[in-house]
Amino acid sequence: MDIDDILASVDRGPGASPESAALDHQQLTRFWVAERAVSEVLPWPAPLMERMMDRVRIQIETIEDLAASSADTDMSNTSHTHAQTHNPNLNLRLSVLQTDLARTQYIIRSLLRARLAKLTKHSMHYLVQLASRNKNPLSTSSQSQSQTQSSAGPNTTPEDSIPDISSLIDTSPLSGPETSFVHAHQTLLAGHYGGSFLGAFPRQLRRLDDNAGGTSMVQGPEIKEVCFVRCLGAEVPVLLDGEDGVEEIVLPRTTQQMQSWYRVYS
Amino acid sequence: MAFPLPRGITASEIAFLAEMETVTVVPRQRLEGLELLGGPVEPLVPPRRASLPLWLALLLKRQRRANIIPPSWLHPDSLSLILEVESSHQDYKSAFSPPPPLPGQPGVRDQGLEPTARPQYTLDGNRYYAAPPFIPQNTAQTAVSSRDPPALPYHWVEVGNMLLDAASDDLVDPDQIRRLLKDLREVRMAKMRSGVDVLDDAAIGGGGVALTGVGAMELGEERGFLTGVVDGLRKIGASKEQARREQLAEQRANGGYDGTQDEEEEDYMEF
Repeated sequence: MDIDDILASVDRGPGASPESAALDHQQLTRFWVAERAVSEVLPWPAPLMERMMDRVRIQIETIEDLAASSADTDMSNTSHTHAQTHNPNLNLRLSVLQTDLARTQYIIRSLLRARLAKLTKHSMHYLVQLASRNKNPLSTSSQSQSQTQSSAGPNTTPEDSIPDISSLIDTSPLSGPETSFVHAHQTLLAGHYGGSFLGAFPRQLRRLDDNAGGTSMVQGPEIKEVCFVRCLGAEVPVLLDGEDGVEEIVLPRTTQQMQSWYRVYS
Repeated sequence: MAFPLPRGITASEIAFLAEMETVTVVPRQRLEGLELLGGPVEPLVPPRRASLPLWLALLLKRQRRANIIPPSWLHPDSLSLILEVESSHQDYKSAFSPPPPLPGQPGVRDQGLEPTARPQYTLDGNRYYAAPPFIPQNTAQTAVSSRDPPALPYHWVEVGNMLLDAASDDLVDPDQIRRLLKDLREVRMAKMRSGVDVLDDAAIGGGGVALTGVGAMELGEERGFLTGVVDGLRKIGASKEQARREQLAEQRANGGYDGTQDEEEEDYMEF
């Protein structure tokens, strides 16, 4: 931490200044590009998204107020013909504000849908990941219980293999709603599988997270897929598994490379 | 399907990003400052120059409310200089011409200086370095930075084409610019294609294909092809790569380098 850091931390007040809107917008854009480019779901930036959603809400209110006031002047135009000269730019301002709002909403929508697509594709993987990272004694006991149930219980269904995530506190990398969505989605899917064909299988073959024979049935995203890397920070570490095992190299700023994803994000 | 688009941003999304670049305009009418979600916009007072995001500048331009001052690189002289470097300079036979320096980075002229980038801070307290499209690479240049040789900014294809479409009357000799942009694109695309040989390295243990200086749209165009090739090669080479790793680990356990490594390497490259 140098003097710049300290100065900046003093400058950084809690109030939402216009400059902070610009910063947040840039971060949202960067996050969107990153999310679209890689195969894994990236950690959910909760504070940033909350601020963004608040801003969008406020902006919508502003636009509605402006539109209402323009409607008022239109009404009064019939009596006062020169009322329009009061604010000739109102329509232009409105259209600029609306375009800006639509652009931001587009980014947010695209971001959320891209995440949902990744989540539905590998829903089981993320559920297992969530459950295994948040293992507390309580949930492990319940899991082992379900394990014994699945091996011995008379009415095993594929739903039993879905990890219980109701007691999770830390849902990273997903947001809260995303977590419940994934769980609901996977429960429906498991019910459908069970109803359509898994129900006809022997009981020990009904689990969706079977890893008999050392191969896990749960498919995760392909982390070795290549992606484009643009080094934007001062120095960015990248893992390289060279001749001497895994080493870390540091790419200088402005370098652009094509790299395997798992080397970048580790 | 929650989201039909393929992984990696598409061409129209790249154009959307490029519309966030900042350009310089000369307004023809007044407009008070606006608080946009993308940051504040300064009040427009003709004939004072103002910096606006490109999408707003284009919106005003289409309604004849402002004129856009083209960035200094979008000029026949600059473009033909870059084209000359790109096509006949010795150092750039197979490399791309260097991108413009980021703020705080030493320019091409003063190599050897330490980069002195100063990070901004996000509201969450993280360090943050602005990057295209959020640094002024397309504003009309000020005297300070004009000593740097002209360079193509990250979003040069998109910004160039959008300005040619919407504001060709503000450009110097738009036909010549259009021709030069097309030439540049072809020269650089040829370099991209001829660089396909190195893709093997990215697929195998080594790592990374250097792409410094390639523009956003060029990356977007080649993304499907490049990632497809590299992933294909990676899948083909996966078992060999595994075997090579194991052998290397064994060698290391047995006391390191014993001369067979190079041979192995060559074998591998031939497949």
